[in-house]
Amino acid sequence: MLQFDTTEIEKTPRADLLTRHTKKVLKGNSAAAIAAKLSRVSLVTAYPITPQTSIIEEIADMISKGEFDAEIVNMESEHSVFAALIGASLTGERVFTATSGQGLFYAHEVLHAIAHMRLPVVACNVGRPSFPWNIWADQTDSISQRDTGWVQFYCESSQEVLDTVIQSYRLAEKHKLPVMVVLDAFYMSHTSENVYIPDQKMVDEFCPPREKTDDQINLKHPKAFGGLVGPDIYDKYNRLHWESICKVEKETNQLGHEFDEAFGRKYAAVEAVNINEKTKKILVTMSSITTTARQVVSRHPEVGLLKIRLFRPFPKESVLKVLDTVSDDCLIINIDRNFPGETEGAMMQEMKRALHGVPNKIFGVFAGLGGRDVSSKTIENILEVDFRAPGAEQVIWVT
Amino acid sequence: MGLKDKVMIPENEFLITEESIHGGALSCRGCGWTLLARYVSNVMGPETVYVVPACCFSIIAGPNPMNLLKGTVVHTVFAAAAATATGVRRALDRQGKIDANVVVLAGDGGTFDIGLQALSGAAARQENIIFICNNNAAYMNTGVQSSTGTPVGARTTTDPQGKKLPAKNLMGIIEAHHIPYSATASPAFLTDFKTKLQKARDATGFRFLMVDGPCPPGHKHDPDRSIELARLAVETNYFPLFETENGRFNITYTPNVKTPVSEYMKHQGRFSNVMREKSGNGLETIQHQVDQNWEHLLNKQTSN
Repeated sequence: MLQFDTTEIEKTPRADLLTRHTKKVLKGNSAAAIAAKLSRVSLVTAYPITPQTSIIEEIADMISKGEFDAEIVNMESEHSVFAALIGASLTGERVFTATSGQGLFYAHEVLHAIAHMRLPVVACNVGRPSFPWNIWADQTDSISQRDTGWVQFYCESSQEVLDTVIQSYRLAEKHKLPVMVVLDAFYMSHTSENVYIPDQKMVDEFCPPREKTDDQINLKHPKAFGGLVGPDIYDKYNRLHWESICKVEKETNQLGHEFDEAFGRKYAAVEAVNINEKTKKILVTMSSITTTARQVVSRHPEVGLLKIRLFRPFPKESVLKVLDTVSDDCLIINIDRNFPGETEGAMMQEMKRALHGVPNKIFGVFAGLGGRDVSSKTIENILEVDFRAPGAEQVIWVT
Repeated sequence: MGLKDKVMIPENEFLITEESIHGGALSCRGCGWTLLARYVSNVMGPETVYVVPACCFSIIAGPNPMNLLKGTVVHTVFAAAAATATGVRRALDRQGKIDANVVVLAGDGGTFDIGLQALSGAAARQENIIFICNNNAAYMNTGVQSSTGTPVGARTTTDPQGKKLPAKNLMGIIEAHHIPYSATASPAFLTDFKTKLQKARDATGFRFLMVDGPCPPGHKHDPDRSIELARLAVETNYFPLFETENGRFNITYTPNVKTPVSEYMKHQGRFSNVMREKSGNGLETIQHQVDQNWEHLLNKQTSN
């Protein structure tokens, strides 16, 4: 667990490492594209969709200028974008793509195939919802993929997008799991902010080339991949997958620690701000809402903030550790920017699951769906809700 | 006059120089798929990656970790075999393995229907892969449902009275992509088949073969008649053999004797409704369509 200052969002590298970074003002999408290049991705498949498109455009531009040594293939759909990654990843390449909303929904069956074929694909998703047409910030697209077997990170800043993509390849290739790095539409994809870009050598040291393993295509030793698996052993494949999934939370924290040592910026599965025995309310957030919440929390000493960075698998142990110090009457308030067709938002569901048996009361708020701005005022409004009032709803909608 | 007396011309010139499949294929008796796999793998050689979407061959190739072929097999999602093959191809090229073949083995569902978008995408990108469709003209793996490759009159479980509309002109669609090589082939014309496989192998860019796929349980005929019927399909012009090589169209086999399509259809239960029709209109219409299509092909060849 990490406890940060309320306003620490820029993630400036440690002083001794500052000269090994270039400071630039970058959109979240640019950070994603640069991260793919720094990670020495060798193959990218692409299909346009707002608001992801500039990621693949910038990658195509870098490749065409010879700055990025990779193959880019313009596919005819997102379904094919991910299906091509099956082939390329299985052949041993380090692959990347990016999509959004409908594109991710369309690729759903392939996401399952990638995860269950244990391919270390890393993809960025710029979150937007489904119908009626809406292209703005919303996590319903990636939340809908939470049962596909992919690891999911939700980023708060352009810097975090860049750093998380790099860490994701380490995680993906070590545990043979695909990783989805999620950023909010427009609030992150098209919003510029300071980003420290590490030099290539630092990234190479942290993230060496993908190893050749015997579960990749080897023309000299032909075998079949993905063939029919009967009931007698299908569960064994799932169990192995589960065993890897069970390691992700710890691995995320370990990688975050190693990343800090190498780059001077800390990361973990969750982040706690101002959470202690005096905390009366804890806001639980993901992505860009976290940044706004930090500002509000800085004005309310009794309010804490729990940022969920790793959402899948849900970092239950880290959450419990954060809440270990709080008093039993501290309220947990989840802010969900997704509507999963349930009475509760996805994060509230996960938090309830994680906090089973914990005495603290858990509430849920739907806010910011379809890109509606979650301003400081919105967060203040959430804090003003009297959840203890008789007849108060467990889940509310705020604007 | 018996069927065999009339048209059977035994052809054994497809010499399997090296057996590139293992024994124990899980196909039905008389299935075209296993024969196709033998011929294809013999021509392509062991350094080939076969990409297989959902189709009968997903089963025939063997359950995990078995592998019928002495080459690499990648099973993939139904709709996107050509996309997965694209990924394999680009990755192999990046690794300098440009001589390895990447071959899709798909059924007609994964070609005409659900796989068409990915197929068209890969063809339009001129991906350096070979796409082979074993056209058994219905979703046989799921129990004989109509595809857009199912011919008019054929009974399937989803068209129990017989399909009302003719099959999609897939070869026309493929040709519109201006690829270096496309052809139809038959397991009953092995020299022709082998030549086409070699041409496909030796060309560069997107290559496409549609192979007639006998299917005793789906077409409702005796398994020992598979090759005989495949031959009749060609002899009656029901499944003509042609190729388009760098834009040049060529009919590769012209029957010596005109044989009515009823000779081909009457031995298959799938056409029993057409054959039973007293007025004969259905059969006449089909014969007319077959004749028209052949005329069209002849004209096309002349205008080359």
